[in-house]
Amino acid sequence: MAMYGLPPGLVNPPRPLPEDDEESLPVSGRLGPAPGTLVLVLIFLAAFAVYYFANWKMLSFLWRIG
Amino acid sequence: MRWIYRVCPVTGLKIDRQADLLIRAHGVAATVALLIGGIAAVLVLLTRWQAVHLLDAVWFYRVLTVHGMTMLIFFILFFEMAVLYFAGPVLLNCRVPAPRLGWAAFGLMVVGAVLAEWMMWTGRADVLLSSYVPLRAHPLYYLGIILFAVGALIVVLQFFASLVVAKRERTYEGSVPLITFGAATAAIIAVITLGHGAGIYIPTFLWSLGLMEVDPQIYRMVWWALGHSSQQINVAAMVSVWYLLGALTVGSVVLNEKISRTAFVLYVLFISMASAHHLLVDPGFGPAWKVVNTSYFMYMAVLASMLHGFTVPAGVEVGQRLRGFTQGLFGWIRRAPWGDPGFSSLVLSVVVFGFVGGITGVTIGTEQINIIAHNTLRVPGHFHATVVSGTAMAFMGLTYYLIPLIFRKKIAFWPLAKWQPYLFAGGMLIFSVFMSFAGGFAVPRRHWDITFSNAPFDLQFSPAVDLVMGVMAVGGLVAAVGGALYILITAWSVFFGEPIREGELSNGHVRSAAGAGESAAAIA
Amino acid sequence: MHTGMQSPRGVWWKPAHRSEKLWFSLAFGWCMVLFAMMPFWHWKGGQNPSGIRGKVDPADFRARVQEFIAAYQVGMDGAFPIVEPPPGADIYMMGQMWSWTPVLKLRKGVEYTLHLSSVDVNHGFALYPINVNFQIVPGYDYALRITPTEAGDFRVMCNEFCGIGHHMMLGRIIVVDENGEVPGQAAVPGEGGGLRVEPAPAGEAGEGGQAVAGEHAGEAGAAAPGAEVSR
Repeated sequence: MAMYGLPPGLVNPPRPLPEDDEESLPVSGRLGPAPGTLVLVLIFLAAFAVYYFANWKMLSFLWRIG
Repeated sequence: MRWIYRVCPVTGLKIDRQADLLIRAHGVAATVALLIGGIAAVLVLLTRWQAVHLLDAVWFYRVLTVHGMTMLIFFILFFEMAVLYFAGPVLLNCRVPAPRLGWAAFGLMVVGAVLAEWMMWTGRADVLLSSYVPLRAHPLYYLGIILFAVGALIVVLQFFASLVVAKRERTYEGSVPLITFGAATAAIIAVITLGHGAGIYIPTFLWSLGLMEVDPQIYRMVWWALGHSSQQINVAAMVSVWYLLGALTVGSVVLNEKISRTAFVLYVLFISMASAHHLLVDPGFGPAWKVVNTSYFMYMAVLASMLHGFTVPAGVEVGQRLRGFTQGLFGWIRRAPWGDPGFSSLVLSVVVFGFVGGITGVTIGTEQINIIAHNTLRVPGHFHATVVSGTAMAFMGLTYYLIPLIFRKKIAFWPLAKWQPYLFAGGMLIFSVFMSFAGGFAVPRRHWDITFSNAPFDLQFSPAVDLVMGVMAVGGLVAAVGGALYILITAWSVFFGEPIREGELSNGHVRSAAGAGESAAAIA
Repeated sequence: MHTGMQSPRGVWWKPAHRSEKLWFSLAFGWCMVLFAMMPFWHWKGGQNPSGIRGKVDPADFRARVQEFIAAYQVGMDGAFPIVEPPPGADIYMMGQMWSWTPVLKLRKGVEYTLHLSSVDVNHGFALYPINVNFQIVPGYDYALRITPTEAGDFRVMCNEFCGIGHHMMLGRIIVVDENGEVPGQAAVPGEGGGLRVEPAPAGEAGEGGQAVAGEHAGEAGAAAPGAEVSR
């Protein structure tokens, strides 16, 4: 009734990787070994900048306070 | 005490029975706290949703106090103690240095928490989590918190002792694993935090007895040194759990130990003085102090988070690419195990913490922008995205692995467990975003009645506010269902669940009991 | 390659890959922008929480507020005095459990120095709808140089929990334009004396009575049942 299960990471754990370091890094050219992540963090930075400067703009509508 | 251990069939780690038991105890205590705090959450939500307005004013502020203290202090710290026992003795293969002390510390934490809860529920501490002097609670409330903090400090010191024991007894080779390193930085920040906690709660306890004066502005300064530093414990612990979940779910790799460890160290160095962002529109401090503390200091911690924000997903990506998921830019994430609640919790935690929690937090923590945000709903909107959708979500995801590994039980209601992270994080995302939105309309936090029905003047918020807060409430209720599901699944698994039989799990593969060859080594 | 659960082999202090260094540079540069914006706004921007700050004994602050009211009062708004100060004056708003005193009548485009303090517990000055928020701490005078930039009939909420009457704590600031009017309002409080404004739900009319605020002022010594106040 309670439908038991186990998480895939225990049932079918990730294949162990070779010990040697940098040589086995799959470098995809200029974007480095993790190109997808690099794109995602750049999108993050852009979103950050937009939100941040929008708030300064909103602040500027207030009365003068000092 | 004779050291009794078992060898984990999945990871090969040597696990002290005392570590097993202490992790279980703290985990169960954390879940009980989560249940109390969660009930309080729903009651508060149904009151701020003016269409329902469930509690009266007295009970609203009372239950709001319970919600803050129980979730932010009791739930999270109990869980973090469990993480420390895992990152220390378990990951390092060593014994718990002083188990009796560990149990005494646990007992102290429970007694302290129960005392504080009793004071809150009986109306002797209607002061909200921050208990700003001169609002005064019963002395036993402050005493309960002090006892809880002392217990936690003992557990933290025991964690450091386990690092020493493991090194001396050579139970591991080379440097400690990254996760242990991250947990150690969380533990160091915990010492700083608990030190500030003693620095504020002991004088305030004495003040509540009429034995000394406490200046209200200095109270705010020291309390927030405790308050914000405690959030940095949560961040360091959450990031450590991110690496742990990445390792367990998809075998994510550490791209560069130097960067990851340096980022953890930045958390330690810069977080205490960054607490100034709670005091940006306070009269007691000048602009120079405010600017220096929020920038030189906080931004270095922000930099650290942005570094982890890269290394954690990048570690997943590289781990996936090395195992064959190389299609295009995002094949590694599209074809990741989204049905594994540990993995989905990891991703949801990273994304909501970063995009919503991090961005809103840094923005409203800017000296001048704080003017339009201080004490509005933008503040809880921000921190529900960080500590709830971020830290709590990661902890929940980890539980799906800790229950089989430490409790040695299977996960009950497994089909529901696969959905639980989406419900919780999705609901919380809507809740946080719409709460922040309401705060943008100037809706105040910690406020029982925004219709101002008994005030000397009238105030009508824009009609959009009702809609925004209604959506917020629905999001919150969805998250509450997700949270309740988590409690049901974990409690059932632990107390009524199907045990994993000897030989059933080994070096990764589930074996049928009949076909078990070598079984796991001695289970004590 | 190893996971975070495993001890790294050998020396792990190694240089990062170029893409990681790129991200580090971008993130660090962004942090520098975040820092620079704050002093920049102090220099060029119009909204800063600097103020003139100092300690003040609550009894002294209350006395100054009474003097201020006595000097510039022009009428009553329910139980609250309406005060119309001259340009450039030191003006006062006192937070107490559970009211803001007095009602201020200001002129658009004129600078004033607004002194904010509390005579009992923490309060939160929250000017609505423009969303200006400051922490009001007993024993401290936060004097902000303000210049209203638009005319209107504003409210002052309290957004720091201060006891059982917290959500009833509401004040008022009126800003008139060059013609002495608030656009969209027929009459401005403070002219012709004894002007009624939006009726308080308790329904009192007439001046000098212990109206809605008076009821609350009488409870000032008793906070929520579970919280006491010490002075």
